[in-house]
Amino acid sequence: MSAALIIWNKQMGKFARNGQESIGSLIQPVLWVVMFGVGMRSLLEPSLGNGDTYVSFMLPGIIALTVLSGATGGGMTWLLERVQGIVKEYIVAPIARISILLGNAASIMTKALIQSVVILVVGVLVGATVSGGVLDWVASLALVLLFGIGFSGIALAAGSSTDDIGVYHMMIALLQLPMLFMSNALYPLDSLPTWLAWVARFNPASYLVDGLRQTILTDALTMAGSELLPLWACFAVCTGFAVAGMVLSLRVFRSSLG
Amino acid sequence: MNQTGGYAIQTSALTKEYEAGVRAVDSLDLKVESNTVFALLGPNGAGKTTTVSMLTTLLPPTSGTAFVAGSDILEDPAGVRRKIGVTFQETVLDDALTGRQALDHHGQLYGLSRAERRERAGELLGLAELEDAADKQIKKYSGGMKRRLELIRGLMTDPEILFLDEPTLGVDPQNRAKIGDHILGLKQRKGMTVLLTTHDLDEAARLADTVGIVDEGRLVVVGSPADLIAQMGDDTMHVQGNAPSDGFASAAAALDFVTEVAATDSGVQLGVDSGDRRLTEVVRLASESGYPIETISVSKPTLGDVFLKYTGRELRD
Ligand SMILES: Nc1ncnc2c1ncn2[C@@H]1O[C@H](COP(=O)(O)OP(=O)(O)OP(=O)(O)O)[C@@H](O)[C@H]1O
Ligand SMILES: [Mg+2]
Repeated sequence: MSAALIIWNKQMGKFARNGQESIGSLIQPVLWVVMFGVGMRSLLEPSLGNGDTYVSFMLPGIIALTVLSGATGGGMTWLLERVQGIVKEYIVAPIARISILLGNAASIMTKALIQSVVILVVGVLVGATVSGGVLDWVASLALVLLFGIGFSGIALAAGSSTDDIGVYHMMIALLQLPMLFMSNALYPLDSLPTWLAWVARFNPASYLVDGLRQTILTDALTMAGSELLPLWACFAVCTGFAVAGMVLSLRVFRSSLG
Repeated sequence: MNQTGGYAIQTSALTKEYEAGVRAVDSLDLKVESNTVFALLGPNGAGKTTTVSMLTTLLPPTSGTAFVAGSDILEDPAGVRRKIGVTFQETVLDDALTGRQALDHHGQLYGLSRAERRERAGELLGLAELEDAADKQIKKYSGGMKRRLELIRGLMTDPEILFLDEPTLGVDPQNRAKIGDHILGLKQRKGMTVLLTTHDLDEAARLADTVGIVDEGRLVVVGSPADLIAQMGDDTMHVQGNAPSDGFASAAAALDFVTEVAATDSGVQLGVDSGDRRLTEVVRLASESGYPIETISVSKPTLGDVFLKYTGRELRD
């Protein structure tokens, strides 16, 4: 068994045995769908007409938010394991550094994928429409995974760069909120001010969001405006983001060992 | 193994500076023969943990290098990692796991089969008297239980070289003795090489074939406990007075029955040919050289006296 898988397995075992964490992780996305989806829907319904479409439109953003906060939590766990010295067991073991990081990123993403399923189920219950064939679902799964691995890499890098929890949270907050709000998650690209639309085009989260809208939430496309990011670009950007995130985490982790 | 000429560990000018100019480990040249127990002794901050960290590839040296189990720690750290087991000075257990899970996880990382993991974990849990606690979460363990678990975790993988940084810190005397016996057993049965650090000099004298004393990052003396103790003379005299001891120390050094003189933080330590016979002479010399004696004692030399001689400090922790 490869080392990444062993570490993934350990983290998932801990997650499954920790009732509070696992139940909490299922409740959180429900709350978000209700807050964002249902709450804003009732606010916007008079002007938008079709509230169900708005829920479909919002779901990718909620999935992105879940992935971002899952990675943030995972980076925090990593920081603590480093400070406590638990990571030393891995550092002196005959395994590659990158597999330590990949194992952690994989466990972060497994939890986030479970949450994403909950989001879709609750989303459908409150009016969203999911669509697409097997290929679309595989594509959307891949997009969530790639995007999540990218941000997990950033969170692991941040968690390697400091031993201070406060500093970690500040670094992540500087990234996490802009990633959500400076994207096309809440408003279509063509309705954003020009400068913000440009920022959003450089934001990997936009590519996850539009990718999901074009595969499994096509109902949202009527609201997504005319400036849709092409699906091939969604894959290219999310793949690049995943690679860049993991390379960054490896670099920062390596330099933290010196 | 040919580059290292039969040594399990060989360092050359191994140096670590955490801050530029401050050497935590200073040009260390250390040789540890295969299938021996080597004890690294030294006061707090001497650089023992830093040395172990470099040898176990946890920390890159500032300069110099080392061969561990035939591999260069800089050029082939992966080769080193495959052959070593490590118990760190501080407790580093994931306390959300049970003892058994922690051992199993560790075995997985080293590629042991499920059957091997189960068998060894069972055996080692028995050795550490942790069978009853094996399936409890580590957060419910006492400090000594955690320590014992960490020790057996290092043994799960049957390493060629075992590094133990203060292995028995916080372990009760009974378990201490048992763990010591087990270490000796591993050396004999499996040909294992052990490098340990400890502040327990009796333990070092009992377990180690060779001890090395480090102080301020430098290796000040190496030898077998018996040889080092024999160098101290037949008896050791601890003289404690309440004045500067320099005059007395140099006067004592001139006496022909005095084999060793060491000024320490609490007085002067003399190696003499026969403590009982020389007592009055030493007392007289002390008062003549302006060193009024408060206490004086005579004993057979121990590794503690050797330590005191080379570091000028008593070992407390
Ligand atoms: N991470 C670090 N950063 C800066 N200085 C350090 C670091 N770790 C250790 N030192 C310094 O290096 C020196 C050697 O420390 P080390 O931990 O190797 O000593 P030791 O012999 O293991 O001591 P002890 O018996 O207390 O465990 C000390 O002066 C210590 O303050
Ligand atoms: Mg130490």
